[in-house]
Amino acid sequence: MNPSFIRVNLWLNRVGPVLGLLLVIGIFSLLMDTPSRFLSPNNLRIVLSQTVIVAIGAIGMTLIIISGGIDLAVGSTIALTGVITALAINAGLPPSVALLSGILVGGLVGVVNGLVITRLKVVPFIATLGMLGVGRGVAKWLANQQTVNIPGTWLNELLVMFPNPSWLLVAPGVWIAIVLAVLAAIVLRNTVFGRRVFALGSNEAAARACGIATDRLKVWIYGLAGLLFGLAGVMQMSRLRQGDPTVAAGAELDIIAAVVIGGGSLNGGEGSILGSMIGALIMAFLRNGCQQVGWPNYIQEIIIGAIIVIAVAIDRWRSARS
Amino acid sequence: MRKLLLFFLALTLVAACTKSNGPAPNAKKKLTIAVIPKGTTHEFWKSIHAGSIKAANELTAQGTEVEVIWKGPLREDDREQQIQVVEGFAAQGVSGIVLAPLDNRALVRPVSDAGRAGVPTVIIDSGLESDEFVSFVATDNRKGGTLAADRMGQLLNGKGKVLVLRYAEGSASTTEREEGFLSQIKEKFPGIELVSTNQYAGATRDTAKRASENLLNQFGDQVQGIFTPNESSTAGMLLALQDIGKAGKVSFVGFDSSQTFIDALNANQLHGIVVQNPFNMGYLGVRTMVESLQGKPVNKKIDTGVMLVTKDNMESPEVKALLHPPLDQYLK
Repeated sequence: MNPSFIRVNLWLNRVGPVLGLLLVIGIFSLLMDTPSRFLSPNNLRIVLSQTVIVAIGAIGMTLIIISGGIDLAVGSTIALTGVITALAINAGLPPSVALLSGILVGGLVGVVNGLVITRLKVVPFIATLGMLGVGRGVAKWLANQQTVNIPGTWLNELLVMFPNPSWLLVAPGVWIAIVLAVLAAIVLRNTVFGRRVFALGSNEAAARACGIATDRLKVWIYGLAGLLFGLAGVMQMSRLRQGDPTVAAGAELDIIAAVVIGGGSLNGGEGSILGSMIGALIMAFLRNGCQQVGWPNYIQEIIIGAIIVIAVAIDRWRSARS
Repeated sequence: MRKLLLFFLALTLVAACTKSNGPAPNAKKKLTIAVIPKGTTHEFWKSIHAGSIKAANELTAQGTEVEVIWKGPLREDDREQQIQVVEGFAAQGVSGIVLAPLDNRALVRPVSDAGRAGVPTVIIDSGLESDEFVSFVATDNRKGGTLAADRMGQLLNGKGKVLVLRYAEGSASTTEREEGFLSQIKEKFPGIELVSTNQYAGATRDTAKRASENLLNQFGDQVQGIFTPNESSTAGMLLALQDIGKAGKVSFVGFDSSQTFIDALNANQLHGIVVQNPFNMGYLGVRTMVESLQGKPVNKKIDTGVMLVTKDNMESPEVKALLHPPLDQYLK
């Protein structure tokens, strides 16, 4: 294969999702009566705040998908950790402890997933499908089948549109997501751990033969991703200012879609944090744009569905040629 | 693999059997009434629950032993789950069902099946496209929408731009409120322009907040008035308005009540809520069911009342009773 082609291909891989995002924004600006409003900093703030939950989830999901796994329990984990954070606040714990407990419970759920997958030899799809039910059920149980209302704390300010102090420009949660994404990208690309995640997803048998303790690595991956899902749950609670055990049903599908649109492969071994973040933004802009143009919901659903398939088809076509 | 499947099948069967052994046997006079709400998380449904228990307590005290079983789908838009709940109660053989249907068509078949199995149904809150039920006990939703429109017209002095964020596709009660609002505005306040009326808030506070943010970005600067037709859409819109600092700067009329809304009325962030009487709805729902089971004639349609609540009339005893139904007295 000639090297210049490989270079073009790599470049496309990197830039493809960005082009997609620009295309979505461009098309909506043309459709809009008042494009200045759609392109305003305020609308950018809105979209970024709305993306945070999916984006933080997608960081964890990217790890899992690169390693060749899948997690269907994210929506349930978000609901569960949101409820737990709300309950912790109501129990009189300081907000920082409540935040930490939400994140840690998310991590715990992930570790359980990892153990079920490695010790009980249940494939990830089934193991996390089970957790989807268990997590949601526990959330409803703990919340006593009701939403958990909380008094105002600084946790409620994580995703406000106009942050305080105002020099932050966007909600603190957006900055948290950006910092986490950069960290995760560095870890994936430049550390032994990151290399191993890719190795595991590309060829598990070979990875094991090379001396990687694959089982332990998997538990780490699901646990680490779980911490991120827990944080996403805290963000969800912050947005609603209540712990809602019914929230985020189906969020895992949005999150998986973000990773896949961003170039992640469900066969493992492929994916990038930047791509997933762009994927999440594409979906948020689609939702935001459709609403502001005044299109009914079904058009939006059709478009998002089509984009997922098109994105993956282009990806397949590219990898078949290389 | 097959063995595992069989094992699970057996497990479900066992679970199903143990479940259906629960109520209904012996004690031949005791009436079991299943009350099935659209969801259990909104405060609205808690009031219905409390009202239904009040009715059961009263009837029991009068010598007709009545037990209320409360069970609903946890999400407000899961029709499939609600259908299964109705089917489950019909199979279980409760004396009667009091149902708030999630959908005016999807629940027609389960209700008529239940009727054929000898379990009659009283419909509450939201309509059903069928006549195979005992009675329809609900708010006059159209009137509620009209009250909201009158308030909006009064707030805006009959002119301005108004945005309506609808609740969800296929929900009969909220559609009637929206239509009541829209037609009253068009008829009585020709000076009011409706800028966006085709967007939906969706089932939860989260979807409602997202939709509100998107719409406010587009129309926020030009609208003087906003109407939302239920608790979750009003809550989502209120959160979105508070976030961008616009709460209180537009005339906002919502529907249903909760502590958050009462605070918002006090803070002038909400300028009117149309309040139903869910407590009365749960109460009359169970009473009507029992009367019909006892062979007494009942009306096919029973209105449970709506009222406009503003900062001015909030302190009146009538409104206070509506806003603070005695939940703790009956729940737990």
